[in-house]
Amino acid sequence: MIRVERDGGVGLLLLDRAAQRNALTPEMLAGLPGRARELAEDCRVVVLGGEGRVFCAGFDLKMCAADSTGGTMRALLAGLAEAIAVLRTLEVPVVVAAHGAAIAGGAALLGGGDVVVTDTHTKIGYPVVKIGVSPAVSAPFLASGVNGGGVRQRLLDPGLIDGAGAHRIGLAHELVAEPGAVRARAVEIARTLASKPGGAVGATRAWLDEIEAGLTPLGAGAAARGLRASLSIAGNEDERARLAQMWGTK
Amino acid sequence: MSELATLELNGGVATLTLRRVGQRNALSVDLLEALHARMDEADAIEGLRVLVVAGEGRAFCAGMDLKQVVVAESGDPGLALRLLSSLGELTLRLRRLPAVTVASVNGAAIGGGCGLSCVCDISVTHEGAKLGFPEVDMGLCPAVVAPWVVRKVGAGMARKILLMGGLIEPGEALRVGLVNELVGSREALDERVGEIAARLADASGHALAATKSLLNELDNSLDAGLIGRGAELSARVLATPEAQAALSARLR
Repeated sequence: MIRVERDGGVGLLLLDRAAQRNALTPEMLAGLPGRARELAEDCRVVVLGGEGRVFCAGFDLKMCAADSTGGTMRALLAGLAEAIAVLRTLEVPVVVAAHGAAIAGGAALLGGGDVVVTDTHTKIGYPVVKIGVSPAVSAPFLASGVNGGGVRQRLLDPGLIDGAGAHRIGLAHELVAEPGAVRARAVEIARTLASKPGGAVGATRAWLDEIEAGLTPLGAGAAARGLRASLSIAGNEDERARLAQMWGTK
Repeated sequence: MSELATLELNGGVATLTLRRVGQRNALSVDLLEALHARMDEADAIEGLRVLVVAGEGRAFCAGMDLKQVVVAESGDPGLALRLLSSLGELTLRLRRLPAVTVASVNGAAIGGGCGLSCVCDISVTHEGAKLGFPEVDMGLCPAVVAPWVVRKVGAGMARKILLMGGLIEPGEALRVGLVNELVGSREALDERVGEIAARLADASGHALAATKSLLNELDNSLDAGLIGRGAELSARVLATPEAQAALSARLR
């Protein structure tokens, strides 16, 4: 369900569960770090994308609804936080190609990219408060690209924005006209990054991490704090009731 | 030799001008020394409200003087760190100055030159200017200016801009907040900066200084350790064979 391809010095890390709109399962998220690291060994840049019509529709909620213990939801939250953290600290830069839709956990994955490409129409948002889940896990990553007011609105308001809106608030860096053009543009950006001489890109990424950690009193611990906040309410009764209602299960 | 940097005072407004015109105001050790000397003068001006930073000629500042940081050219491996440290200290002095700093980006603002624009409280440019951070294109790490770019445009956009290298069109620079205002022409720039400076000079110096000081506290602007470590990192990357080779190729 995670597929890798190599295209010159560019590694493609692809969510490959198109029939389910690349909905994330615990297994996919658990596999993602290893596949990413494997690509980083022999590629100069990694592009994270999704097969099929959309980048990623978020967690597989049907699986969550079927697990009354809340364990699936907790595994997904922890796996998501780990996957984003691994992408951000990967040896090589990461370009995210988000086409069609990047919802909830899918939108959170944008936080793993040094450069995010999307298209005008792509639907993006964190509507998980509707199902009793806290998107706090995304907050530290979202805050690195979007200003404080924008972060509050995006995480608290379950509405979706389009790619143009995401570009305007800094959640995406590059905007193309059509979903079909997103991957090609991401690969083009990856080639630009791969062409830089010596260790300059790696040194600059590491230095930006250090600067960024100094921007919040939580420092490098902000990501762990975000996950803890989401986990602290995961599996609550409200969540179970809302998921059950959504999928007609008990 | 004519002065490499001048400070002119007019009412409550001082203008600090880079004048190394033949080298597109590229930052050499000499130019930086002159800029520090002019900052000593600015620090001594009682009640200074506004400091405009501008470049003489067609460029604002083309960045580091590459001839001084390629060891094969300068013959002095220690020069790069001195230059980078001096630039770092200059940025801190501009940030610490109680007067509001306004960058009048009259032309190319590249690398360290674009960093000088970012450290200013307000930056204005015109459609004919070129901005950007091409350091990674030459195997360099823009570590001294990175904290100022992060504070100016936010961490996410700074990451994209600094890792991608190359140059940025003025319209895109405005969109991402790398500059605060964009006007149509060089002539319009002088007029617009004049208006902004006059408006600031009219305001209460105490209120401006208190506000700037708070803003500096909120984004931890005066963290000198960060800038010092940035200079060391930048010098370390600059000394690698890959960077020296890429720079030498650029000079030929």
